[in-house]
Amino acid sequence: MSIDKDRLGELYGKVGGGNQTSLEIMGNNRDISVGEIFMIYSHRDGHERVFFFRVLGLENYLRQVDNMTRVASTLMVEGDAYLSGIERNMLLTIGGRMLGYAEKVGDDWTFRSPRRLPDHLGSVYRPVKGVSDDFVMEMLDCQTTGEIYVGDLQVGEETLDVPVLLPSKFLPMHVGIFGSTGAGKSNLMMVLIKSMIDNNLEAIRNPGKDLPRISAFCIDPHDEFAKGTDRYGIQDVIEDMSPSTRSDVIGDFYYLTTHKSATQRNIRKYAQEIRIFWSEIQPRDLYSIMEFTSQMMALIDAAYAKDRANWIRLILDMDEGSADSPIGTIRAVQRRLRAIERSPIFIEDGEKNTPSTLDDIFVAMETGRILVVNTSLMRDVEQFLLTTVVTRTLSDMRRALKSSGNLGDFEQQGKMRLPSRFFDRVKAKAKTFYGHGGVDNTSPVRDPRSLPVIQVTVEEAPSILNPELMRGQSVFKDISRQGRKFNIGLLVVSQQVSVLDNVILSQMNTEINLRLGNEREIRAAIENASVNISGFENEFRVMSRGEAIVTQSYRELPLPVRIPLFDDVYERDKNRYKEKRAKKEEEHIL
Amino acid sequence: MLEKILTEKFRRTLKMIFTDITNQQDRRDEQEFSKDEVRIKETLLDTIDPFPSDIILEEDFRVAAVDGSGTDSLMTLDDIRVHLLSTSTVVLNTNTHSENVFSPIDRETLEDEVGEQPQIHPHWHSGVRNDARTKLAESLEDIYPLKDIADLTLPFFRDYLSIGRTEFEEDTPRLRDMEVLISRGQLLTNPAVHEELRKTSEYAAIRKILESDLQPKYIFIDGAMSVFMHHVRHYPSMPSGFMLRDLCALARQKDVILCAVSKNHTIPFAHRIAKMAKDKFGEGVKWFCHLPCKEDPGGGLHIYEDRTYIPPMLAVPYLYSFSRDNRPSRIDFDRVWWLQNIFVPNNPKATRANEKALFSEIEFVSRDARWYGYPVPLALAHTSCKLSYEDLRLAREVCGDVLRELNQEGVKTDPLRADYDL
Repeated sequence: MSIDKDRLGELYGKVGGGNQTSLEIMGNNRDISVGEIFMIYSHRDGHERVFFFRVLGLENYLRQVDNMTRVASTLMVEGDAYLSGIERNMLLTIGGRMLGYAEKVGDDWTFRSPRRLPDHLGSVYRPVKGVSDDFVMEMLDCQTTGEIYVGDLQVGEETLDVPVLLPSKFLPMHVGIFGSTGAGKSNLMMVLIKSMIDNNLEAIRNPGKDLPRISAFCIDPHDEFAKGTDRYGIQDVIEDMSPSTRSDVIGDFYYLTTHKSATQRNIRKYAQEIRIFWSEIQPRDLYSIMEFTSQMMALIDAAYAKDRANWIRLILDMDEGSADSPIGTIRAVQRRLRAIERSPIFIEDGEKNTPSTLDDIFVAMETGRILVVNTSLMRDVEQFLLTTVVTRTLSDMRRALKSSGNLGDFEQQGKMRLPSRFFDRVKAKAKTFYGHGGVDNTSPVRDPRSLPVIQVTVEEAPSILNPELMRGQSVFKDISRQGRKFNIGLLVVSQQVSVLDNVILSQMNTEINLRLGNEREIRAAIENASVNISGFENEFRVMSRGEAIVTQSYRELPLPVRIPLFDDVYERDKNRYKEKRAKKEEEHIL
Repeated sequence: MLEKILTEKFRRTLKMIFTDITNQQDRRDEQEFSKDEVRIKETLLDTIDPFPSDIILEEDFRVAAVDGSGTDSLMTLDDIRVHLLSTSTVVLNTNTHSENVFSPIDRETLEDEVGEQPQIHPHWHSGVRNDARTKLAESLEDIYPLKDIADLTLPFFRDYLSIGRTEFEEDTPRLRDMEVLISRGQLLTNPAVHEELRKTSEYAAIRKILESDLQPKYIFIDGAMSVFMHHVRHYPSMPSGFMLRDLCALARQKDVILCAVSKNHTIPFAHRIAKMAKDKFGEGVKWFCHLPCKEDPGGGLHIYEDRTYIPPMLAVPYLYSFSRDNRPSRIDFDRVWWLQNIFVPNNPKATRANEKALFSEIEFVSRDARWYGYPVPLALAHTSCKLSYEDLRLAREVCGDVLRELNQEGVKTDPLRADYDL
């Protein structure tokens, strides 16, 4: 094997010194920026390798000048001074991190963590857009391929045409999106949602390939995903689809909201109002989102034991002496439950003859669909409770499945774990999803890993994934630890890393780190990253909107990514949503 | 030693020494200087008219420089020393027609003409053996490209006669080979041998430029243009003296101006001349001062009457300063060239005009911000040829490797003092 070095880009410099972790490069006087990625060709001991190096610091270096200050002052004082042949002596000393190296083993490129050194005075190449893209993509294939497009590989201020994707099989191992206000979280979410839709479309169009489908319950706290933040939104993607494709991809709806009548007209067609029955709420849903004293929990647990379907009403109707608890405790619990009582989305069973949306959410999530949930008109507690109920319901359904050998077992397990009214309504449907080769009780169940991957976004994550709440009986504690078994993952969105609980942070295997607000968050993001990115502090400090460092425990390379604007990716891809089958048939006829 | 250096006693001793210098040396010179003061101020000292920084010369020209470095003890093998010599040739183009002034000519062109740059040459020598003179002669013959001894010696005698010198020892031996040109055979100490080797290497490099098609207008060399003469025989006591005159003759023939620049010089009262220039012309004005010899109109200066080599025979020295921050330097020109090109008999004004034009160009060559006031090609050559301690350490390591390849295991290449950690 011999690497065609011209495909690496332009020859930029030579390796000066350093070790397997950090290197110093002497390079030409070019307009280099922090964050650029260089490739170092090395041929040592018969091994041809390409090392990847990330620029973390730059310094001007003038050969033959020991005292730069003196030269600068002479140039100032002696107006007629020049610098002879200085162009070729103007160099840059570049310090940075070794990211790892690519080596071809057999026909495939492998990528390994930095555990070796490039050759003495190795040649350093700077990737050039339009020249290096294909080769970089080839070398980094195992680091960048997957199903969910995040953005393009960023080399400094430029990007290469090397898309960075997350593999869907790792989504159940939880994803964190961290970024301060204005860092581009909403745009990233829209790009991810579109990418999940694209993935599902691909799976639908290629049924023979057995491609994984992805479901997502996407909280949209500012109601911008459907409409978009600029010109286009997810609604445009949906509208571009032919009715049959749309039906396959989103079913009847993709947009959940508190007030359907207040929804923009074109979106309304695909909208549903969120209504969750009180009977579908379990005490631990509440314990996951707000703090209760042990006395309060005892009161709630007693009421739940008494009447699992009506425990909220039971407590709300309590008065002095109607329970063993002091009236103070009763009032305190009631005060907390008032939020549910006042909520338009949490309703008593059968109220106004409205069906529960939870059934449809369950079906959507088990059929590989994307739901955009407008929570802009919800109070925090409503949003958190909704997320919790949905997450717990989905995970309990899959937990019941995982605990069963056949559908008969599943029914038993489901009854035990889930609110009975909800389970009775959905069990028939559930059996069609979970049964392998039939729906009767003797049919074996499917492995949850063969079902769609479910991603549940947890917005404003510190409010519910903080150490105080996670210490108790939080639903999210279980999900973060065991979600992978059930193929359910959390998509944790937060402005801060430092305040999140360690349980969720340690279970998180993918982090998309956008620009962060302050030094404390930068430090926390670096400490929390699944790949060692120590030394990237400067880089975080200069990151712009839409730039991210993606770290994944299952990949060795921390990937700098530029997330494109949703409008741009939509413009690029909008033709893919048209029905292709009809055209093919036409061609066939011709 | 620090505890001694930082004492009051040491300060007192220094004070006594400086006072002594003032009382004895300066007072004597002061008397001499006072005799020259008016002449220096009125006649010999003048300002330089610098080119504007954005000047576009009618015709850009090339400037070259050669510098060398070395050690007389790359390695010591009993009574034998291995010398290491390095030389560097730099050629720049004034290039005023482009923005990149004084840019080096491309490396390929340079190396095609004068060989790989910089160059290193190891030589071995034993200063204590009977054949020391023969060995040195062999090395010099090897280094200097002009092999014919008659051709090598002729320019000196021609120039010597041309300036009106006629005194020769009657029984001048027949100068038939390099060895005969070494008339200081008894004084061939290692430093002297090294100095001769080094000069010869530099001169060889200059000869290569002169013989090439590079055609610079100026060639700068480091040091003075002194030729040490045999007191009795009245010709150079070492071959490098003949070589220098060979170069001067060839330079004249090729229309190249040879300039020898000394940062370290022993011109007496240089600082007083600098002060005089400052008082006369003002702070920061660039100036030069001719240091005449006894054959020049007005004769030599009193201040160096008892200094044998100032001015050097067959050379014309000047003091100059191109920057207020630097002490004055010395520059020597070939006297024969000077008489032909700068000096106009009986016309001091024309002579001065020629001098000013010459120094305007040299000053223009000396404005690099890294070495402001010093000719930039010479500074670049110096930078390129210098052998650092680290270079020498590596060179010694390579020596060790080579010795091992030659099965001479166990020969140490470090300096002998390293054996005792000294």
